Amino acid sequence: MALLKIENVTKRFGGLVAVDKVNLEIKAGEVIGIVGPNGSGKTTLFNVISGVYTPDEGKIIFEGKDITKLPAHKRAPLGLGRTFQIPRPFSSASVRENVAIGAMFGTLSGKVSVDDTLKIADRYIELVGIKTHKDKESGTLTPIEKKLMEIARALAMKPKLLLMDEAMAGMNPKDIDNMVQFIKRIKEEEEIAIVAMVEHIMRAVIGLAERVIVMNFGAKLVDARTEEALTDPRVVEVYLGHPPDGSKWQSEVWGKD
Amino acid sequence: MNNTISKYYPLIPVLAAYLIIFLIGFFMPGMWQMVALLAFYCALGQSWNIFMGMTGYVDFGYVTFIALGTYGMSLGITYCSQYEWLGIGIILIGMVLALFLASLSALLEAFIALRLRGAYFAIACIGINEGLRYFIEGAKIWGGSEGLIYFGALVQALGRDTVNQLTSFWADFSVFIIAALAAFLNIYYMRSKIGYALTAVREDEDAAKVMGINTNKYKTIAFLTSGWLGAGVGTLAWGLKLGHVYPGDVFVIHYTVECIVVVLLGGAGTLMGPVIGGLIYGLSKYWLAVIMPGFQLLVFAPIIIIIIVIAPEGVVGLLKRKLKGAKLKMFIE
Repeated sequence: MALLKIENVTKRFGGLVAVDKVNLEIKAGEVIGIVGPNGSGKTTLFNVISGVYTPDEGKIIFEGKDITKLPAHKRAPLGLGRTFQIPRPFSSASVRENVAIGAMFGTLSGKVSVDDTLKIADRYIELVGIKTHKDKESGTLTPIEKKLMEIARALAMKPKLLLMDEAMAGMNPKDIDNMVQFIKRIKEEEEIAIVAMVEHIMRAVIGLAERVIVMNFGAKLVDARTEEALTDPRVVEVYLGHPPDGSKWQSEVWGKD
Repeated sequence: MNNTISKYYPLIPVLAAYLIIFLIGFFMPGMWQMVALLAFYCALGQSWNIFMGMTGYVDFGYVTFIALGTYGMSLGITYCSQYEWLGIGIILIGMVLALFLASLSALLEAFIALRLRGAYFAIACIGINEGLRYFIEGAKIWGGSEGLIYFGALVQALGRDTVNQLTSFWADFSVFIIAALAAFLNIYYMRSKIGYALTAVREDEDAAKVMGINTNKYKTIAFLTSGWLGAGVGTLAWGLKLGHVYPGDVFVIHYTVECIVVVLLGGAGTLMGPVIGGLIYGLSKYWLAVIMPGFQLLVFAPIIIIIIVIAPEGVVGLLKRKLKGAKLKMFIE
């Protein structure tokens, strides 16, 4: 059974169709990359899944349960964690408290005490490697540390599906490689499915995703294994704007003739 | 266990401050009036802080709760004083009525206004406050614009001596109790899930929702608590003490502004802030009214501006920054 099933989901803002009849299935433990040009509806799709917006049409089914009409705060405890494109820490709270908030409200077992969640928080802070900053005000962290803290906060919610919105934007290649390794590791250790949105960083897509979904103008353009998706002529056209010289593109990306 | 108790250490300086103020008023002749004023501002600041300091929502219509509290007591005394067998029970009835009115208005306001944010929320609250005032005056309920005068009824029901004691001591003393209760609830909320949820709401409400926080629930809890305490202050400091109520006297935004000043001076969202703010504001208001009657606001405005510029996080924020030593910091929140 699919962990998350999206059926015919449409979201409009006035006359603009931000997400256009998207169908999508995510299995437990999968790592999926979503790519697409700016304004292609990736973030809106994330927002529809996490409950920030209710879709105008279509259904969202999580573990066999219809969650289309469920408000965001009721979706999160079911196992839907997410991070944000621009990190959104609770600035005045310490890193430890931020992560503890995830553990406190993001799980279904509502009976854990505040002290216990602080202990849980310590574990995830260590996992993402920002232990030295744990008592700092989260607003004073560097952007990369904030991203790591958001991942820890989302992991503390014990998600079954983690939506990562541009976790690697603005990082240098070395950090991206580290991040890719890190995401792979937490996927194994925490046994969760991950949908990572990676806008233009092909290095990350190739390193991370088993399957790639390409969005364009709100619609799903391609949904295939990473290698196939990125060499698909339609995808190349979306990114480069003209019919591709397939062989050249392939040799550049994959290093083969 | 030890850990649980040490979490509440910041309560010690606050309660000590209340105790000292109370003892000064109790034993030094002629000081009671000033002490009552200080208790009033500390209690109001502390109560308002539970909602504003924790959620970041600025409720400009907060005086609605104080006013409704006053009306609760007034109605209780006006309509129940004829039943002699109730005795001192009419005060209790007044309190229950006050809490009921405050809860009703808090829940309604939470349902309507708490969906709004920032300036829209503030304006909606002012609107509710003004609307209620004109409704009472226009619909001529609860005495309309002529208000309720029930001091005589109170004296008749309880006797002059009891009433004198009630209005000159017990009413003010109870304000201290409310101030202490507000301080306790403040730190209890801070240390519990409610506090964490509200911190998240204050910093980023949308992110909080995605983290699984039922933001409306926690905002309503804080709003209701804050409203109850405000109504309590109104019930005792105005309703019981003055013996009369006019809509034009109680639904006055000026008192909300005083709450804001008290909390911002001391430090919003802190436990000690409203106490320090209440003391600074109450004392200077009292003192300025003595040495330069009529000019106190003119003098007070620049003082507030200077303090806000020097210490934008309030006095407690400044203290926290300057103080060294973890032992001492345990007592400051």
